[in-house]
Amino acid sequence: MTKQHRWIIAGAMATLGFAGLVASGSSVAAADVVTIGFTESETGALNVDSIGQFNGFRLWRDQVNAAGGITAGGKSYQVNLAFYDDQSKPDRVQQLYSRLILQDNADFLFSPYSSGLTATAAIISEQYGKIMITTGASEDKTYQLGNKYLYEMYTPASAYLTGALDALKTVHPKARVALAYADDAFAKAVATAARTYVQSIGMELVFDEAYAPSTTDFGPLINKMISAKADALIGGGHYADGATLARQVYDHKAPLDFISLLVAPDSPKFATLGESAVNVTAPSQWAPQATFKPDFGPDPKTFGDAYRKAYGIEPSYHAAGGYAAGLILQHAIEQAGTIDPDKVAARLDQTDVETFYGHVRFFTDSSRHGLQAGHSMVIVQWQKKGDQLVKEVVWPRAGATAPLAYPLH
Amino acid sequence: MSPKKPFFWLLVAVIAVFLLPVVTRDVGLRESLLLAAIYIILATNLNLMIGFTGYVNFGNIVFFGLGGYIGLYLVTAAGFPVALAATVAGLGVGAIALVFGLGILRLRGAYFALATIGIAEAVNAFVSNFGPWGGATGLYLSFEAYRPLGGPREALWTVYLLLVAVMGLSLFLGYAVKTSRFGLGLFAIREDEAAAAVLGVNTPLYKAAAYSLSGVLPAVAGALFFFKQGVIQPDQAFDLTLSTEAIVMLMLGGQGTVTGAALGAFLYEQFRGILLTSPVFSSFQLVIAGALLLVTVLFLPGGLMGWLYHRWPRLRRVLE
Repeated sequence: MTKQHRWIIAGAMATLGFAGLVASGSSVAAADVVTIGFTESETGALNVDSIGQFNGFRLWRDQVNAAGGITAGGKSYQVNLAFYDDQSKPDRVQQLYSRLILQDNADFLFSPYSSGLTATAAIISEQYGKIMITTGASEDKTYQLGNKYLYEMYTPASAYLTGALDALKTVHPKARVALAYADDAFAKAVATAARTYVQSIGMELVFDEAYAPSTTDFGPLINKMISAKADALIGGGHYADGATLARQVYDHKAPLDFISLLVAPDSPKFATLGESAVNVTAPSQWAPQATFKPDFGPDPKTFGDAYRKAYGIEPSYHAAGGYAAGLILQHAIEQAGTIDPDKVAARLDQTDVETFYGHVRFFTDSSRHGLQAGHSMVIVQWQKKGDQLVKEVVWPRAGATAPLAYPLH
Repeated sequence: MSPKKPFFWLLVAVIAVFLLPVVTRDVGLRESLLLAAIYIILATNLNLMIGFTGYVNFGNIVFFGLGGYIGLYLVTAAGFPVALAATVAGLGVGAIALVFGLGILRLRGAYFALATIGIAEAVNAFVSNFGPWGGATGLYLSFEAYRPLGGPREALWTVYLLLVAVMGLSLFLGYAVKTSRFGLGLFAIREDEAAAAVLGVNTPLYKAAAYSLSGVLPAVAGALFFFKQGVIQPDQAFDLTLSTEAIVMLMLGGQGTVTGAALGAFLYEQFRGILLTSPVFSSFQLVIAGALLLVTVLFLPGGLMGWLYHRWPRLRRVLE
């Protein structure tokens, strides 16, 4: 290495170090602009889910701005989004949210994706009295810490499988239920609540076991379910394990009448399992087929069409959650007639509205302030129509596109 | 360490820089320097094992994570003040590390490195299934926990000051070990362990002591950091990427030197911070960070301090 090269490297290092100390971002806080700040997981493990949410934010912003902005108190506010990559890790979340508030002058905040990152970001939003609409953060604990400015769009994790069990109850009130779930934070939180709910509605839990998320052979687990004479299987975790479990249940000819798994059957890829996918159900925050009649914002079809046109893909529930977060904030600002955070928070507390995403209302008591109270999971089911597998919404009945197909085969 | 030693003044200067946001009440600068302080604590303590003893600890994050869990549990379940909880976490993790160290430090080279990853994964699996610590969903801190420190806003300043103090202690610990008889024993182990043993160095005890010592302050930092974060979950607490990044910081600054470890950690944090928030570089910040590592390994094998020592040999007497 020449002397010149060495100087270049040393100079670059020194400059970067110094620049880091004095760096300050540009801020967009012009009059009649409302800035909403958030972090998204552009890189890292949460990338796929976070991007859907991000696309939802962007579509909402584009549509609102094209329609003239958010109208409040006789003014029209154009929406500006300020965001950074959190790398799917919590380390910099507080740094980035502080920056969004202090340097980018964010008036409101959206949450990062995932409950852990959101709880970390909430320490900052609460400090500055900034409203944070959360999406992709369903862990109940996040909303039980004394927050005043946090509002959840998702149905809480504790209610993920309750809809599926309610649907099952209509066709088999005394079902013998097997609970098999991935050994990870999300699935465990869901399973803990489902366990209690099964018993509270008079069903019997005959099998209850966690499996490693990397499991590829579910044979022993399925044999135990068969021995326990289970009628229904609920649980799962994420795509890979859920899809494998569904396929192997079919291969083993397990005598199950009902299956509801987290995440995997909600993916369009699940249809590639063919016969193994038939009549398998999944809880989902939202489905494009849902037929909710909105009081505010677009209907599900209009949203779905706009999303497909903008991104060329089917909207996931993450995308719908992102768009709906913007919509609910817009609704509260318009109702409040101001962007003053306390007045907007007061309107959010009173929110009771039907959107394309379903019903939205928040708990307002201090022990769980901001926890979602109005939204229900939809239950989707892969039903066979001729040679095609079609994903239908079967629950709740208000948004259903087809009746529940029962039993499984 | 007396004021006659250059390192004393270096330490004073570093702490003075880190106290800058307290004077200016600049939250943005505080957040940036807080992460830099964490990285400096991780890198300088890791230096005790890698730089001084010659043992590569890939699972060093286990101390940070365990400290976080013990600290947060003591705050949430037992109502300990955060400073006391962090101190207990540091001492507790130091004791646990001593037990682990006596077991795995009989291994050398790649086998030791693999064992450290094994420990991090085993502790992660244990914590993920340990009910009192919230299992896989972790521990969440109520906002009430910040009240004794004047609410979240003031609590974060207190935590920052405590972390700066822990960083100062880490730098001092590195210097104290380096200039002590104990440190000489560690250097002897690094150069030739068999020869060191023949010359009377109690190698198993020295190595276990270094391993244990390298865990105390990262554990204190973990307790403080996760108190600030308000939540701790197994995958965040035992993130092997951060473990590896600490090694990168050490290589960047120059392993075996206290100043190098601190400098590498500081520059790495600032560098990543700029890339992440830059509209131009944010999309490929990981590529640039990887390229930096390559440049360091290829052109600066002794890190920045190695290069500085080579360029100005007299610096060896000034910068430890």
